Amino acid sequence: MYLALREIRFAKARYTLIAAIMLLISFLVLFVTGLAQGLAYDNAASIQNMPATHFVLEQGSDHRFTRSQISGEKLEQTRSVVGESNAEPLGVQMTSIVLSGDIQKIDVALLAVNPKGWLAPDLTMGTTEKQETGGVVVDEKLAEHGVRLGSILVDQASGTRWTVTGFVKNESFSHAPAVFLSKEEWMGLHLPSSAQSGPGSAEGQAAYNAVAVKATEGEVSKLQSAVPNTEIIKKADAVSAIPGYKEEQGSLLMMIAFLFVISAFVLAVFFYVITIQKTSQFGILKAIGTRTSYLAGSVTLQVLLLSVFSLAVSIFLVKVLEMALPGTMPFQLGADMLALTCAAFIAMSLAGSLFSVWKVARIEALDAIGRAGV
Amino acid sequence: MNNRLEMHDITRTFADGGFQRTILDRLNLKVAEGELVAVMGPSGSGKSTFLSIAGALLEPTRGDVLIDGKSILGQDKQALSELRLRKMGFIFQNANLIPYLKVEEQLMLVAKLAGSSKEVCAQRADELLQRMGLTHRKNAYPHKLSGGERQRVAIARALMNDPAVLFADEPTASLDASRGLEVVAMIAKQVKEQRKSAVMVTHDDRVLPHCDRVFYLDKGKLTEHPV
Ligand SMILES: Nc1ncnc2c1ncn2[C@@H]1O[C@H](COP(=O)(O)OP(=O)(O)OP(=O)(O)O)[C@@H](O)[C@H]1O
Ligand SMILES: [Mg+2]
Repeated sequence: MYLALREIRFAKARYTLIAAIMLLISFLVLFVTGLAQGLAYDNAASIQNMPATHFVLEQGSDHRFTRSQISGEKLEQTRSVVGESNAEPLGVQMTSIVLSGDIQKIDVALLAVNPKGWLAPDLTMGTTEKQETGGVVVDEKLAEHGVRLGSILVDQASGTRWTVTGFVKNESFSHAPAVFLSKEEWMGLHLPSSAQSGPGSAEGQAAYNAVAVKATEGEVSKLQSAVPNTEIIKKADAVSAIPGYKEEQGSLLMMIAFLFVISAFVLAVFFYVITIQKTSQFGILKAIGTRTSYLAGSVTLQVLLLSVFSLAVSIFLVKVLEMALPGTMPFQLGADMLALTCAAFIAMSLAGSLFSVWKVARIEALDAIGRAGV
Repeated sequence: MNNRLEMHDITRTFADGGFQRTILDRLNLKVAEGELVAVMGPSGSGKSTFLSIAGALLEPTRGDVLIDGKSILGQDKQALSELRLRKMGFIFQNANLIPYLKVEEQLMLVAKLAGSSKEVCAQRADELLQRMGLTHRKNAYPHKLSGGERQRVAIARALMNDPAVLFADEPTASLDASRGLEVVAMIAKQVKEQRKSAVMVTHDDRVLPHCDRVFYLDKGKLTEHPV
């Protein structure tokens, strides 16, 4: 430790330079990680927020809500396995709406949930009353488009008009802000108007897209046989099947992985070059009795100091940036993810130093004698 | 009289293009406490090889090396490293100080490696620097020192852990004549005062008066010459 610190003190410029490079890379790693997390959440917030463990989807729907059709009959079958209160029907549909009196179309995700059930989100403003009669609850992001309590929204596909009765926060699906409506409204959209009545009469007909369940592993395997022609998927699978989710996360993840590799590589090259430059010095140190483990520890400690220092500064910078970013920018870096990223960064840096450590171990003390000045 | 360094029947061969070349051939040497021995010889005669074997940096093909009466052979790398740290002091041709350590820290490092406490290190370093006339330079980096000063720091570093034996490989080669004499006189003085054994490889006739005995290495054997 004696050597490591004093060398940094002596060669300040050299170590500052490499620390600056590490700082930029680690900042980018943290920023892209935050962005990936933010986008992931923004994309799938409504599904992530649901307290369900699994979803029941139609067989062959490839985990996608929008491709799946689930009848009221299947809902009842599911309920008979997991219990009445542990299964909730869910309707999902992408559409575009226009604020009445405006011409600007807005893409939204229609989510049909029971307003009194556990799929219903918490309101930040307004009420869920009147949902049976054309009231909807919408995500706060729509406020930027001028949507207020009492605004009229017109569905472009069906021409149906809804009144905004409440707002929710952080609710979106496939990056589109969510519009929550009751199952009565949902039925109105999906059944011929002549057959309007309760779900009982819609028996056998496609009524919903999925059933959200809270189930144990045992119940899940029972469900598989009890409800024919369905697939039971985990919440995480449902999230990653949202259109664009995998592609988006995949490319961001690739960027992050590359940044990790680059940082390890930059460190590896830097320390390898320095180590080679110091070959005769290490030879002398070994000749006068310095153990190889001490020298290897010295190199490792320098790498550790550099990466911890640059991480600390970039965490600070990312936090500052996070505060400065506008609220609409999807950026999310929780403590867990931050810790994980930092640990991975340090681990990669240490991996990068292995090459130099190996080089140090191979230097011969003998080189010190008889080859002076080389 | 106590021999702090003894070499018995040391043979060293190197594989050279398919056959064995014998560089050192059943060489014997005993160096007493307080004695400085000079070794001379033509280039390529094996002086550095001889010094490396005595200094536990290279294993002899045959023979035995004793430091303070104990054989140093057959030990693993780590034990040899420890031995060099505590029992031997090295002075190289170019001083070879660590560029990023101040004069005082050069000495502290070896004492710390040997596990001495901070107070002991500091006191011993002070004392040695005083003896070498370097007290006023103790916070200087090596690149600010003159060649002679650097070599004196190297001597102080070699003595820091109170070793049994000192080894010097052409310590005056990069110094002018008067500086060279000064440095060898310094080594001789410390060896006398601190009862060490010392072996110095040199090409420089002028420093021989400071040495107790002079050997000539040729054809793998050491022969003693009158001073
Ligand atoms: N590792 C090795 N492998 C093969 N031959 C070696 C090796 N090390 C030394 N030699 C040979 O042993 C001989 C003696 O080398 P050494 O370095 O001991 O000479 P020296 O007396 O110190 O010479 P100089 O005065 O030039 O420093 C040389 O011929 C050298 O080529
Ligand atoms: Mg030599």
